Amino acid sequence: MKLAFVVQRYGAEIAGGSEGHCRELAERLSGRHDITVLTTCARDYVTWENAFPPGRTVEHGVPVLRFPVARPRRMKVFADLSDEVFEGGASHERQEEWFRENGPETPELVEYLRAHGHEFDLVVFWTFRYYQSYFGLPVVANRAVLVPTAEDDAAINLDVLPPFFDKPAGYMFLTPEEEQLVSGRAYRPLLPSMVVGSGLEPVSTAGMTRAPLEALGIPQNYLLYLGRVDRNKGCDALLENFQEYASSRPDVALVLAGPAKMQIPSNPRILALGYVSNEVREALLAHARALVVPSWYESLSIVLLEAWNHGIPALVNGRCKVLAGQVRRANGGLYYMFPAEFDEAADFLLNRPAERDAMGRQGLAYVDREYRWPTVLSRVETLLQDVRRRSTPRLQNVGS
Amino acid sequence: MAGDAAGVDVDTVMAELHGRVRERLRGQLVEAGSEAFADPTVFADVEGVMRAAVSTPEHARLILPELLGEPDTWRLTTKMAYRSHRGTGAASLILFVKQRVLMPLLRWMYEYSRDNFERQRRINHVLFACVQELALETALLRREVRRLSGAVPRSTASPMSSGPASGPDTQSDSPQSR
Repeated sequence: MKLAFVVQRYGAEIAGGSEGHCRELAERLSGRHDITVLTTCARDYVTWENAFPPGRTVEHGVPVLRFPVARPRRMKVFADLSDEVFEGGASHERQEEWFRENGPETPELVEYLRAHGHEFDLVVFWTFRYYQSYFGLPVVANRAVLVPTAEDDAAINLDVLPPFFDKPAGYMFLTPEEEQLVSGRAYRPLLPSMVVGSGLEPVSTAGMTRAPLEALGIPQNYLLYLGRVDRNKGCDALLENFQEYASSRPDVALVLAGPAKMQIPSNPRILALGYVSNEVREALLAHARALVVPSWYESLSIVLLEAWNHGIPALVNGRCKVLAGQVRRANGGLYYMFPAEFDEAADFLLNRPAERDAMGRQGLAYVDREYRWPTVLSRVETLLQDVRRRSTPRLQNVGS
Repeated sequence: MAGDAAGVDVDTVMAELHGRVRERLRGQLVEAGSEAFADPTVFADVEGVMRAAVSTPEHARLILPELLGEPDTWRLTTKMAYRSHRGTGAASLILFVKQRVLMPLLRWMYEYSRDNFERQRRINHVLFACVQELALETALLRREVRRLSGAVPRSTASPMSSGPASGPDTQSDSPQSR
């Protein structure tokens, strides 16, 4: 098939989850399909400033066509508009304006789709909330597949979304919870669709020693947080919960590995490492008692899958349906909703090694079962073929 | 699907953890003087109602906000609105000064209070949901009382449904009083 993959940013150095999902699929499917990535010149997901040159390149065997962002995101305008539309009652025009301000505003990309969209068998869009999906997908709706990467946040409740979710010819979801969330905001059953997930390569933890951790003074008994240390990721509540928890348990530490976007309290039990090398990251994952994921909003937690890939269990925020759902399906950890539950669950994972190891193994078995690339690619192929088969008569009718 | 892996079952462990947390809280409430919670089933019922309210999705439609009327008259707003009652020219100037000069100075203070507004808005939503849950429970109980009152002869009916000990609402809603 001739496919276009449309995504807000693209490149090996782009760290975003949906961007990574798009790139992995593009590179892994490019041997079987003629894939072109349509993206923007942005590298920074906050400002959307043009950083890559516009035009065509080939990256890891995949043709990439970049379009310039018309203007960087106007932060104050966007913040005020977000307040306005998320409060409810905003007009459809103002809500559409929100998608424009959210960016990255790339009218040339939309024009390209208008002029050349019919040359592709299918056009796959990542992330409903960005400009290129909201304004680009309707242009090629009869051959469009949406990967919404939706989270249960305020944006999903915008009134303009039900008609938008009515448009794609097919859907790829990352988790059953995401499918349920988006289905609840659509006018019709979202068929054809499939929960495809994302893939991981197996890792071998056999030879991973604690040497890189010893050098950093990491104790044996630690909970691990991996990723941006940010209030938006629930880290403020995690730090508060943990300090309270650790005040009566002197032998436990919380290790934070990732750039800090908030103030981290000075506490000898909290070890903030900032960016870490891949070697340290792997060692942290291999030796942690558990990974903590305190986020409220996730469409798929890759880091959770990574923890299971290393055979360690997880302790997640139960208010995030995706996280709690993943943990329950995998039997790979525990969840908490308030501090007393955090304490109980952390105690269980830290003090019951046999059960902890069993949960880690169960998580790994779940990843083996559901999240290896051959399994994920097979689901994606099935879905794309299904959408193509169903949309072909519609396309012929459009052409006739 | 939660039980499909051999070994430890997450749902079972979580049920044990929840049980311990609830039991500790119940003990603390009893110690603090809430003697009704000495009965674990009472605590479980109350907790069930509260938990249902807390789990109400952030944007779920509720009855009470509808009854409160125009949202502008009661809803906390975190949106910054710049307005002036003056004529077009003066208004533009005043709005420009407000937006470009005063607000950058005040914004950091606003950011602080905005977090508190957000928390209060969430609590309001949960309280609305709690009131709705309690109203729903009351409505269902009244219906049950009416059903029992209709099915059971007056002389053997419980005091709650027909006798003088019942509350005024219950009495007025019972079929016998109509």
